[in-house]
Amino acid sequence: MLNYTLRRLLTVVPTLLVLIVFSFYLMRLAPGGPFTSERPLPPAVMANVLERYGLDEPLHVQLFTYIKNIVLHFDFGPSFSQKDRDVNDVIAQGFPVTLTYGFWSAVFVLACGIPLGIIAALRHNSFWDYSMTGLAIFSQIFPNFVLAPIMVLLFTLSWGLLPGGGWNGGQWEYIIMPAVALGTSYMAGVARLTRGSFLEVMSSPFIRTARAKGLPERTIIIRHALKPALLPTLTYMGPVFVYMITGSVFIDVFFSTGGIGQDFIDGAYSRDYSMLLGLTILYSLLTFTLNLLLDLAYAWIDPKVRSKL
Amino acid sequence: MSLLSIRNLNIRFRTGDDYVHAVNDVSFDIAKGQKLAVVGESGSGKSQIAMAIMGLLAPNAEASGEVLYEGQNLLALSQSQLNRIRARDISIIFQDPMSSLNPYMRIERQLGEVVVQHEGLSRRDARKRALEVMEAVQIPDARNRLTAYPHEFSGGMRQRIVIAMALICKPKLILADEPTTALDVTVQAQIMTLLDDIQRDLNTAVMLITHDLGVVAGFCEDTLVLYGGRVMEEAPTLDLFDGPGHPYTRGLLRAVPNISDATATLAAIPGSPPNQTRPPVACPFAPRCVDVRDACLEALPDLTGSRQKRACIRPVEELT
Amino acid sequence: MSIAKKQMNAAPYAEAAAADMVTSRSFWADARGRFLKNRMAVVSVLMLVLLVLFAIFGHTIARWSYEEIDWTILGKVKTEGGPTLANGHFFGVDELGRDLYARVVQGSRTSLLVGFVAGTASVLLGSVIGASAGYFGGRFDQLVMGAYTIWISIPYIIFFVVWKAFFGRSLTQMILVIVLVNWTAGLLIVRGQVMMLKNREFVDAARMLGMSDFTIIFKHLMPNILWVIVIYTSIVIPEIIMMESLVSFLGVGIQEPNTSWGALISEGARTMTFGTLWQLAFPAAFFVVAQVSLYYIGDGLRDALDPKDR
Repeated sequence: MLNYTLRRLLTVVPTLLVLIVFSFYLMRLAPGGPFTSERPLPPAVMANVLERYGLDEPLHVQLFTYIKNIVLHFDFGPSFSQKDRDVNDVIAQGFPVTLTYGFWSAVFVLACGIPLGIIAALRHNSFWDYSMTGLAIFSQIFPNFVLAPIMVLLFTLSWGLLPGGGWNGGQWEYIIMPAVALGTSYMAGVARLTRGSFLEVMSSPFIRTARAKGLPERTIIIRHALKPALLPTLTYMGPVFVYMITGSVFIDVFFSTGGIGQDFIDGAYSRDYSMLLGLTILYSLLTFTLNLLLDLAYAWIDPKVRSKL
Repeated sequence: MSLLSIRNLNIRFRTGDDYVHAVNDVSFDIAKGQKLAVVGESGSGKSQIAMAIMGLLAPNAEASGEVLYEGQNLLALSQSQLNRIRARDISIIFQDPMSSLNPYMRIERQLGEVVVQHEGLSRRDARKRALEVMEAVQIPDARNRLTAYPHEFSGGMRQRIVIAMALICKPKLILADEPTTALDVTVQAQIMTLLDDIQRDLNTAVMLITHDLGVVAGFCEDTLVLYGGRVMEEAPTLDLFDGPGHPYTRGLLRAVPNISDATATLAAIPGSPPNQTRPPVACPFAPRCVDVRDACLEALPDLTGSRQKRACIRPVEELT
Repeated sequence: MSIAKKQMNAAPYAEAAAADMVTSRSFWADARGRFLKNRMAVVSVLMLVLLVLFAIFGHTIARWSYEEIDWTILGKVKTEGGPTLANGHFFGVDELGRDLYARVVQGSRTSLLVGFVAGTASVLLGSVIGASAGYFGGRFDQLVMGAYTIWISIPYIIFFVVWKAFFGRSLTQMILVIVLVNWTAGLLIVRGQVMMLKNREFVDAARMLGMSDFTIIFKHLMPNILWVIVIYTSIVIPEIIMMESLVSFLGVGIQEPNTSWGALISEGARTMTFGTLWQLAFPAAFFVVAQVSLYYIGDGLRDALDPKDR
């Protein structure tokens, strides 16, 4: 297990390296930069600025310095657009915010999606089952960027129940809407998937064996059916996490949470090399970590996979 | 009084607007310690009888008649009442050992949970019992393999575990539903020997469901032949092999390969299994029978006779 | 049998076997029959046709162009900018005083065009890569699968943001980026299908005839998995529309004054605190109707083409 984890971590390094080099050259080879504006700076000032940020050196030297600073000091360099702030400052301030509601959103996805799916499966072809299918279609057509405005319209503008944005140190009123808006469509996806796999597992031969043992239905569901029924859900969570990270950029922008998504988009507008690159690395690291955790969880549940690690 | 007594059992399945009549008016008895073989081709309803006894019929099935176990009609019991009988009094061995064990649970737990449930044993005592039965079914190095998962065993070993699971509570009746079909021939023989030994040790009654008359010959005193969900013949196995009293049984016996006479041609029974969307009104085998008479197509033959019961209107002497 | 003789028999056999499979006319005819029996799917096709017609011809009844500013309303949008027939702003105006009806027509045009063109192109690209990976196997397959695994674990927003920062955002470029981001669409499923089919007799027969790998993949394998590609395309198109809408919402999508459903919803969401709800309602309604229709069409196609029913 440990061996496997280490091996996986080792594959992350070259992947990240390729990603960094690729993004770095893509950004640098493109015309324009953070200091190109409608009123060009005087050449002397420009040279000064470039020198200050080390942008006058050859590209490969800059790349090398950049990577060296990350590896040695975990330093993503200064922001080119936000005066006197490092990318590290931005991450330190914004990342916990994004991570906090992201975590609660994931909790919402699993804690609601899985029970809903199981209930629908146990009450197959009942009202609950049909409501679930309805919910799944609903989520398909109301993605987060349509749902979020509607939620704000209802909960903030009409009923005044919840704040329509901001963070305020992460009080729960400020977390609810971002977390729910981000998670709803994936929650429905999880529910639909869990329902399907649960139905399949419940009709499998080993559940019949468990019934023949005279175990009560509750025990059969909890002890025998739950684990195998959740495996497809676990697999599904990989892409879901990736999509949720994309979604979080939208949530950060729409709800003005102060998360890193806003800085990422701002970075695109101001062509802030280091900000874009730093956050790209951060987002990628996040997905790699989440995927590794998922794989480990999968192995923990499925002995067949575990024995192969 | 017999241990299990099946009276006029009918099982039908709803498929859309139609019914499939899988088992039709079947009655038989199993005494304490008796070994009865239920023989028939696939679709003859033999597995469904076992499922009805266990209360494990599919949700779209309807069963009528009586399944009396020690005088109690199992068909009338609720699931929780049945749970007290399942595994403790009547247990079942399923056909496919590959899929009938939970792949995500350790063997000791899968075995132990049966005695935890029925005898209220602690986890620790349950583990001891699991070890005992694993040794009883001759799993080598059982002590170290308690914590293994099903995929770490071979097919034959898994079937031994399934058998161990069926006898861990020392039930009075074991239903063995094609216990060796999924296994290699050599392993088949080992498993049947094992079942035989255990049966003798515990004096358990066994209902062996199979399509393979070869398996029956060495194991069961009595044989019941099913066709189209109806009993064709019921007799002591030796009598049945010596003088089959029903054209279908004859056909079946001719279809068994004979090692001592390799030149003999295997006789397949012509025709295909009956359409069961309607309950039978005549002998279901008649369309495929070589000795068919007009009368065979008009009425249901009764199961008659004392020692060798047969459901055929023609006297034995007239059969080809 | 001699190889020569085998080859002689192989030619008609290969033709027959290939024709016998799902390429046969009856398969598609049956599928069409099943699809037409699905009422939701048929209604959805009608809805989609109406949407497309609206996108193509909607501007002919507009009294304003989508870029034109109605100076008489600007500044009074909240009170006089609502939908009305009187001044020709059927859907009202946006906060810059531009005609929302014309903008919704334009947005529908962009979103549908991007969805269909980029969706189809992505699936074709993914299918070709997937089919090659499945057919050749070995190193190439490993390489493709490695790239696939890494690619799908990178949030796609990154590509749009980086692209927006340093390149343009014209319609063509949007489609190009979307196709590049989605080169994995349909890859896995087509790869699996090809791996399953490549050992079938008709492929062996074609190989024995000395057909090139290219011919085998495109003339013999692809037609047999066309149904998978069709199903997958119907799933990908709404996803692409959604992707385009999200990035346009974030401002890294289509460039002003051109617009799309996502960009319009974004404007509507930004201004809804002022009570100009029509700015959110109209684009959102079009988006939702399109998504519902595409969902049921995809559903109907799956039911009609899925081999489980065959």
